[in-house]
Amino acid sequence: MSKTADLLPGTLDMLILKAVSLKPLHGYGVLLRIQQISGDALEIPQGSLYPALYRLEHQDFIAAEWGVSDNNRRAKYYTLTPAGRRRLRKETEGWNRLASAIASALNTAPEEV
Amino acid sequence: MLKQIRSLFRVLKSRRDFERGMSEELRFHLDRYTADLIAAGVPPPEAARRARIEFGSFDTAREECREARGLHPIDELRRQLRHAARTLRKTPRFTATALLTLAVCLGANLTIFAVVDSILLRPLPFPAPDRLVTVFNTYPKAGVLRDGSSTTNYYERRGQIPAFSQLAIYSEGTAIVGDTGATERVPFMRISPEFFSTLGTNPAMGRSFTDAEMAMPPSRTVILSDSYWRRNFNADPLIIGRQVNVAGLANTIVGVLPPGFRFLSSEAQLYFPFASRPEDRLPRERHSGGNSKHIIARLRPGATLELAQSQIDAQNNTLEQDDPKAQMLADAGFRSVVVPLRADHVAGIRPMLLWMQGGALALLLIGAVNLANLLLIRASGRIKELAVRQALGASRWHVVSEVAVETTLLTLTGGVLGLAAGWAGIRLLGTLGADRLPLGAGIAFDARLAIVAVVGSVILGIALAVPIAWFNLSAHLAGAIQSETRGGTSGRTSQRLRHGFIVAQIAMALVLLEGAGLLGLSLKQAMAVSPGFRPDHVLTGQILLPRNLYPNWPARLAFNQRLFAELSRQPGVTAVGAVNNVPLSGNNGKSAATVKGYVRPPGQTLHGHYSYGVDGDYFAAMGFTLLEGRFLSAGDSERGDRVCVIDEDFARFYWPHASPLGQRLFEGAEETKDADGFIVVGVVRAVKQAGLTDDAAQGAIYYPYALRTDDTLFVVLRTSLAPESLGSVLQTVVRQTGRDATLTGIRSMETRISDSLITRRAPALLATLFSAIALLLTAIGTYGILSYAVAQRRREIGVRMALGARPQQIRRQFLALGLRLLAAGTMLGVAGTWVTGRAMRTLLFHVPPFHLAIVAATACIIGLVSLAACLVPAHQAAHISPTEALNGE
Repeated sequence: MSKTADLLPGTLDMLILKAVSLKPLHGYGVLLRIQQISGDALEIPQGSLYPALYRLEHQDFIAAEWGVSDNNRRAKYYTLTPAGRRRLRKETEGWNRLASAIASALNTAPEEV
Repeated sequence: MLKQIRSLFRVLKSRRDFERGMSEELRFHLDRYTADLIAAGVPPPEAARRARIEFGSFDTAREECREARGLHPIDELRRQLRHAARTLRKTPRFTATALLTLAVCLGANLTIFAVVDSILLRPLPFPAPDRLVTVFNTYPKAGVLRDGSSTTNYYERRGQIPAFSQLAIYSEGTAIVGDTGATERVPFMRISPEFFSTLGTNPAMGRSFTDAEMAMPPSRTVILSDSYWRRNFNADPLIIGRQVNVAGLANTIVGVLPPGFRFLSSEAQLYFPFASRPEDRLPRERHSGGNSKHIIARLRPGATLELAQSQIDAQNNTLEQDDPKAQMLADAGFRSVVVPLRADHVAGIRPMLLWMQGGALALLLIGAVNLANLLLIRASGRIKELAVRQALGASRWHVVSEVAVETTLLTLTGGVLGLAAGWAGIRLLGTLGADRLPLGAGIAFDARLAIVAVVGSVILGIALAVPIAWFNLSAHLAGAIQSETRGGTSGRTSQRLRHGFIVAQIAMALVLLEGAGLLGLSLKQAMAVSPGFRPDHVLTGQILLPRNLYPNWPARLAFNQRLFAELSRQPGVTAVGAVNNVPLSGNNGKSAATVKGYVRPPGQTLHGHYSYGVDGDYFAAMGFTLLEGRFLSAGDSERGDRVCVIDEDFARFYWPHASPLGQRLFEGAEETKDADGFIVVGVVRAVKQAGLTDDAAQGAIYYPYALRTDDTLFVVLRTSLAPESLGSVLQTVVRQTGRDATLTGIRSMETRISDSLITRRAPALLATLFSAIALLLTAIGTYGILSYAVAQRRREIGVRMALGARPQQIRRQFLALGLRLLAAGTMLGVAGTWVTGRAMRTLLFHVPPFHLAIVAATACIIGLVSLAACLVPAHQAAHISPTEALNGE
């Protein structure tokens, strides 16, 4: 448990967009992919995954289509839309800027002030 | 935003698919997770349990998903609609009253609106219709307000007024069309070449007229309307170049108009060139419009009405400089007026229509106030339920939206019922003759009306929700929960609101009823006006003789003689005559006359008078009253004697102190040689030519028919039988006497008089209907409010009765409440009648705008009705049994 971290607010959308940008995924697949690409470091609350997916679909960042899963069941697959791709790029840039700013702030030594 | 709406719409289109897909998706997730846990070595029952716990609540997830898709407000609306429908069904009496009120009030408004829309609002069916204008000559100081335009005007203005891009002239008439033996009367228009292009349209087939066709002799070319082409030529595509027989002469078809073309209220089926001789276009003919020729024009883009008017004025001034009659024209107040085509066409009925719509809106307001009161009473009955729900967490928004949903559902249903009532109302107006109003043929029940009904209903629903929501939010909830009665108490403010509504309602009903009284009395006054002749037992009809068979006056006069002889032989006929224009025919053209030796006092101008040509025993047939001298006889017309009869107005105008008999007068504005004059041989009582309510003393001259140039012919019969019963006899005799002679408009003079009052009768009838409904609504409203007051104070009354109060005291108390409301409403209403009466002065005839007797009668009626409505609840209050009241709810 100590290895996992809670999600910062607002980051779930970004992670979902990243996950489906790699390959069309169904909801459960999105969960697994986020855990996989974060090296199992992030804990996604399963119940809130779907509202997030529906919200992103409503905003036209992802598109959903019914397909057949690997164990031959009907499943809803999500893909990234062009608008979603732009959104992901913007969010990634924003996150990187924020992260480096916070990192440099935290690394400040007393003599640099 | 657009994306979201589209996404929401996708979901709504197949809501069931959305729900099923969502469940399937979540189930898939759970199953896969369980399977993965089992694969990781967790025992199956434990795996299923853990999967479910880690996922959390299924229902919460589903609800959040719906919210994410923007479905929340819609689901909430559906829930509230179901709830509202359920509560409305639970109170059938209230719902039925409310729906009936709405159906009647909205139906009345929709009916009138259909008329207003067709006549005043809907743009004319031409491109850029607001740039179309008409120009007419007016000589107000000579008593001639409209004289149309002359052929000279047209030729002088064509291309000379920069503000107009196009200008055209037209006149209307009726022709006998078809081959001998199979003729029909067809309305036509004579038009100049630019007529259609001025309106912005073109023949669908063939061509418009050319300038060459404007010359005499007539080119005998014709353009057909689409409907005439379809009906009479079976929509023959090769019609151009074929012939149609008009007045016995072959006319070549050169064009067919597009479907649906209609110029204002014209019924024209055929269009001929507006041909004229060079002498018709001379300056001396400039003022010979006679209200039969009309000019229309199209304003150039960017040009205003004012600009066009100033250019017309400037041109008139230039032309008048070398006009010998310039001073006379200036004295007559001559001007050529440029006015918007549509506004001019409907100007006569616009105020009446607007007042009718105003009356309907007042009725709607009364109905709405009633509903608001009923809803307030209902809301106070539910205050405790509401208090509990608010205590359990219902938000303010929720309370407000729930009320709005309920009232809107009510008004929308009422709106649908109102549409049905409107459909019936439009048919009723049809039977009252609304389709004969200008542009009245377009009155229709259509999608536009349905949209207005829906939008109006929603607005009304929201407006009704305002007082109820305000009441719900301002009520003392804590107090309501604690109070022991089921209904709870409503605050003083809501009581004041309800009473204020009743006062307003009484006031409005009073104004409406008084307005109806004024209109009704005006109608009665108008009907009491003597037309100047005896209209009973008189039958009239218009005869059209084909020009090819009756090319000259002798032929026409011979026909008249044969007709009179034949008709006098019919049983029941006591007198027969003919005239070129019967009273109330709708044709009110006036012309000038000059009296020999009369010197106009300074400042007085030439006057327009009605002038008639009479043949046979016209005066006896129409029932004229002879004041002096003698009537014209059939012999005068036969011999062509230069004599005439004048009416009392004419006599008083020119010979106020002497007898006019033996005096000489001339047709037209100039005195010419004596031989062309007419000797006055008689004076008759004035008749109402334009309408019973036309008070202008215009003056009239009756010439022998043979000496007139106007060949319009009305036959007039006086009978000892019911006039309508002779219609078929008249028809047969006319057909036997003249080859291809047609007779139309067979109506008794009494019918003509009653038809001429349609713009007074229909409004008076409608206003009476509206005020009767308003009265009923007011009675229901007053009754409702007082019964509620009694029901609410039942316990208090019980206690007082137990303590010895007498029933009379209780009754008096409630009657006093009713009387107070009535007094306030009546005072407000009387003030209102003073304002509205003055505002509707133009609609009144011989009735002062503030008619004390009508106001008093109205107040009495309202008072009696309201008092009757108060008596029942007051009586109930007086008979409350103390034991029952105290034992409880």
